[in-house]
Amino acid sequence: MKGVFHLKKDKKMIVCFLTPAVLMFFIIFLYPVVRTIAMSFFRVEGVSDAVSTWEFIGIENYVTLLQTPIFLDSMKNMLKIWFFGGIVVILISLLFAAILTNGLYGKTFYKTVIYIPNIINAVAMATMWITAIFNKRFGFLHNFFDFFGSDLAKVDYMSGSAKFWSLLAAFCFGSVGYYMLIFMGGIERLPLDMYEAATIDGASKTKQFTRITLPLLRGVMKTCLTFWSIGVVGFFVWSQMWSAPLASELSTTTPFVYMYNITFGTQGNTFRNAAMGATVGVLMALTVLVVFFLINLLIKDDDVEV
Amino acid sequence: MKKFKRASTLDMQKQLRLLPGHIVVGLWCLFTIGMLGWIVAASLSTSPEIMRGEALKFATGLHFENYVKAWSSNNISVFFLNSLLYASCTMVGSLAISAPAAYVLGRYVFFGNKLVRNGFITAMSLPQIMIVLPLFSLATSAELTGSKVVLIFIYIGMQVPYTTTFLISFFSNLSRVYEEAAAIDGCPPMKTFWKIMLPLAQPGIVTVGIFNFMNIWNEYFLSLIFASSERNMSVGPGLKSVLTAMQYTGDWGGLFAAVVIVFLPTLVLFLCLSRTIISGITAGGVKG
Repeated sequence: MKGVFHLKKDKKMIVCFLTPAVLMFFIIFLYPVVRTIAMSFFRVEGVSDAVSTWEFIGIENYVTLLQTPIFLDSMKNMLKIWFFGGIVVILISLLFAAILTNGLYGKTFYKTVIYIPNIINAVAMATMWITAIFNKRFGFLHNFFDFFGSDLAKVDYMSGSAKFWSLLAAFCFGSVGYYMLIFMGGIERLPLDMYEAATIDGASKTKQFTRITLPLLRGVMKTCLTFWSIGVVGFFVWSQMWSAPLASELSTTTPFVYMYNITFGTQGNTFRNAAMGATVGVLMALTVLVVFFLINLLIKDDDVEV
Repeated sequence: MKKFKRASTLDMQKQLRLLPGHIVVGLWCLFTIGMLGWIVAASLSTSPEIMRGEALKFATGLHFENYVKAWSSNNISVFFLNSLLYASCTMVGSLAISAPAAYVLGRYVFFGNKLVRNGFITAMSLPQIMIVLPLFSLATSAELTGSKVVLIFIYIGMQVPYTTTFLISFFSNLSRVYEEAAAIDGCPPMKTFWKIMLPLAQPGIVTVGIFNFMNIWNEYFLSLIFASSERNMSVGPGLKSVLTAMQYTGDWGGLFAAVVIVFLPTLVLFLCLSRTIISGITAGGVKG
């Protein structure tokens, strides 16, 4: 009875408290999403062209886009980042989480330092990698291989085919800390008695990890894969940093960078097509949706929630 | 090392058995610290020293003038103050909007509650490319492009779904007793929120406030689009312009000083509040 009384009395408060947040949601998310989807079915040149100048062309943007070699290359790059980077980041962060939840001294110190790259501005982080690690004259890798007299010292990590992989390595290095923390949270929430029973039964630490921890971490794994996928779709600043001083470069272009180039234009690029940018956006959102669906389909979530 | 001395022999044996683990994460940490350390050292060296690979020798002493140069002539001061403004305004603004919303969403049953929550969660996983074009045309039609207000407004809106979702769990875990006692004493519900419930949710408010501050300090894409003039630029695109300029001036010392100035605020914030921040990430499993 009291609850009903409460609710009625507070209707004014619910409206007052919720309206600003919902209004913001409408302006910043809902309206833009609807307009972006609509835009992808029209011919629109400039981003701020009035709706009255839009010309309806159906799915022509999608057809053209899927036949544009640069876009397909950028999709290929994104897929490579998602697949190879995903495997490396998930495996390393899982390994670190397992190590750090094993009763290591200095656990707090280790996890703090490993997380640091996540809180540093990506531009600063990328500048550090490009100079301190990958510079061909004074970078760490050059000095390291030079010390051992290896030919690898002559490799320029910022050009040619090495460029993509140096970019991926730097990006993955910074991502590990975040996923490690999520995995650690999951592991620390697992019931201890199961491990005690396993220890009594003579199961080794490794066996306990593969037979108890991993299966119970499915839900956490799902969270990590979801966040990783969202992160990779938003891959932009690292790509821009690796192509500097150029605005963009084929070997490191992602769909996000491609969309930026065709809608907001870059130096030496006069071709602008806002609707095509919107089409890229819709395709990326669809990609995220499909990945969500697949992850939920493949990983059954019947364990500890994180 | 100190910790080892205090440990009993049994613990020592255990740590010895865990040595491979120590080595793996230790090397990873060493690499991170080494990279940051080298950048700080290089920011105090001269460009010729850095090019010769002698940044760590300090043959000509410590060159603090790199910082003075970066701060004034490289315009880092402008970018720094802009980012400080963007991050602080967003932190306060998104909390002011999200905390009341999270309170009613977390504590009251009403029509549309679930819908709003799901909307916010969907918004959090939406790629930015889906929303940036209409926002840009909105800003253009409002003739507000090139002003700081637009970016702050967008940032606040961007952070609302995440901030609200994060705070809902904090509010829903508070006991009903407080509100009932306040109601019996004749305190109106809204006043109860501001005077009693909001202070009780302080740990959550502080954590999400720090996350928002750091997110905005490190934001790049929207700042690039909505604050493209040198006057409005934030540290991300600003530092990139310093890097581009460096290709022509060859001032490595100044570049590294700029890098340090850009990462120092979030690094210090993180090191001071690492416990709060790390437990926020581990517990929430939400992006931060």
